[in-house]
Amino acid sequence: MNNLKDTIIVAKFTMRDMISRKSFRTSTLIILVLIVIGFNIPNLINHFSNSDGNTILLVDRDNIFAGTLEGINEISNSDYHTEFSSDDDTTIKEKIKNGDVNSAFIIEKTTTNPKIRYIVKNTATISEPPQVIIDQLNTLYTSVQLAKLGLTEKQLASVTPNFDFQIEQAESEVVGGNIGIMMILSLVLFFAVYFCTLQVSSSITTEKTSKIIETLVTSTNPRAIILGKTIGIGIIGLLQMTLFVITAIISAHNFLNPEILNTLLDLSNFTPYLAIIATIYFILGFFIYAFAYALVGATVSKPEDIQAANMPVAFITMAGFYLAYFTLMEPTSSIANFVALLPISSPFCMPLRVMMGIASSGEVVLSVIILLVSCALIAHIAIKIYSNAILNYGNQLGIRSLFKLYKEK
Amino acid sequence: MSGLVLKDVSKSFATKLAVDKVSFTLKKPGVYGLLGTNGAGKTTTIRMLLGIISRDSGEITWNGQEVDRKTVNFGYLPEERGVYPKVKIIDQLRYFAELKGMDKIAAEDSIHSWAKRLKVTEYLNLAAEKLSKGNQQKIQFMTAVIHNPDLIVLDEPFSGLDPVNTEILKNIIIDLVKKNKYIIMSAHQMPTIEEFCSDILILNRGKTVLQGNLQTIKSHYPANRLLIETDTDITKFLKNFTIENSHDFKYLIKIKTESSAHQLLRDVVSEGININKFEIMKPTLNDIFIEKVGAKHE
Repeated sequence: MNNLKDTIIVAKFTMRDMISRKSFRTSTLIILVLIVIGFNIPNLINHFSNSDGNTILLVDRDNIFAGTLEGINEISNSDYHTEFSSDDDTTIKEKIKNGDVNSAFIIEKTTTNPKIRYIVKNTATISEPPQVIIDQLNTLYTSVQLAKLGLTEKQLASVTPNFDFQIEQAESEVVGGNIGIMMILSLVLFFAVYFCTLQVSSSITTEKTSKIIETLVTSTNPRAIILGKTIGIGIIGLLQMTLFVITAIISAHNFLNPEILNTLLDLSNFTPYLAIIATIYFILGFFIYAFAYALVGATVSKPEDIQAANMPVAFITMAGFYLAYFTLMEPTSSIANFVALLPISSPFCMPLRVMMGIASSGEVVLSVIILLVSCALIAHIAIKIYSNAILNYGNQLGIRSLFKLYKEK
Repeated sequence: MSGLVLKDVSKSFATKLAVDKVSFTLKKPGVYGLLGTNGAGKTTTIRMLLGIISRDSGEITWNGQEVDRKTVNFGYLPEERGVYPKVKIIDQLRYFAELKGMDKIAAEDSIHSWAKRLKVTEYLNLAAEKLSKGNQQKIQFMTAVIHNPDLIVLDEPFSGLDPVNTEILKNIIIDLVKKNKYIIMSAHQMPTIEEFCSDILILNRGKTVLQGNLQTIKSHYPANRLLIETDTDITKFLKNFTIENSHDFKYLIKIKTESSAHQLLRDVVSEGININKFEIMKPTLNDIFIEKVGAKHE
């Protein structure tokens, strides 16, 4: 009971300490501003570029397309807006230089195939014409040439490709879900782990550096200190991440193109069950790495050693994230099944597998048990090493010393 | 057995024996002096006593029970001073008071009462890094006593304090003894130990070289100095003595026996010289400490 009370006291003090730090408040504010700016980048680009969007002039002085180019204004599923023109080259180049239009396609007759010149302001940044315009021109040219052969509507339709594409899978397991929301979920956890859990090791090391450690360990037990710190930093980290996510969502709603937003944040597959699963894995994923950083913090006593000491855990975090990321390419492979149970990667990929509908309840339960056991094991080792290495004011402890410390009473 | 008992407590670091079978007892409230040169094993003994580090062998009990946070309410002022630099003083004091089991109201009362006593009330709402080292030390002292502990361990409590604050702290320690607190004090300042401690233990390289009641120890040492003040120069009478200090006809000289001092007095008086002061002095704790540790420490 006292342990729980002390853990809560340590957690509350750690939270208050973190929030009161100017560096924490400043970095949080900077990230919030960056998020808002980030979602405004497309608008800013549009603001500073041509206000009419990406306007392309189509010039067919020899009437090769028999007037059909005038019918093209908007190219579907693209940002291009086309205008028909019969200006001479000098006028067109002047318009491009002045920014009235972005580029121009000039179609010219030759003895063999028609020649198309693509005029841009500067070839340093643009080397190829947009494929979507080329496809459109090819289709139009084919239609014009076929029309010249005097084909009927029916004959014309039979030679114009209009395939009905459909995707089917050979595997029996049906994979569904929204990749956008899946990746965002995984990325948020990765950043939460990568940026927040680091604070656990530095907080523990700072107490050694400031020599407060002796007063602290005579006031409560190491278990309450490690658990309290990890929980305190965990809660603040999660709140900070929630603030970032909320700011990102509000910014996305206000500043992003609604079509892109709806595609990216399609929550139709996000059931209450999935929300619970995502929360469980987010918290367990956060704490398994937080305890790993607590273990690292217990082994060092000088601030200059923290970065080097954190490296292995940072590497494992990245390995866990990328393992999850790459196995998503083949979600039903046996390696993907293994990665979904591995405690370093399961928090990143199991919620996504649940969303895809390829993780059974048994696999989820097994994976949660493995994560819980791993958390408890790492926390136990961290507490043991912390208890026995409290007064290590020297260099970082090596593996052999850590093993000895762990075996000590 | 009541009180604190350390019996044959030992600790080694790698191949170095830091503390070798140290034993002492605090049967009644008072101040127990723990003395020794740097690296003698004082802090290691204190850390074992408080459970900060484990001991290799021996027993440490409080009222017959193994010492830990549950069996004894203790306070500790470590030699390595430390505070949370960015945290407000009042917040860190509340934190430690709550960890020591105090409720918020009691903690608040105790903090303000001790702050007033130690003259740090004006600093309570400042971050610790804004305080001088002396004031930070007073804050740490508050952390050690804020929860009204029964056993208080003070490792070099006066180092770094100015004379005014030293006096404040001395008066507090006297009050704590009156309130039946058991205090273990490690210090380098021998006059301070002599002022407070009824019992002492001197450590040298981890071993006990002297321990017991301070007055009893001193009574076993013969007088070794004479302080004599006259109204004229008496240097010609001091040829067979070693003069430690002399100014304005005040002489502090080393003596081998008390009878040699009495003979000197007779010689001086017979010459008609007026004696203003004549004091045969027992060795100080400093003398005893240097005798026991100094030569071995070389």
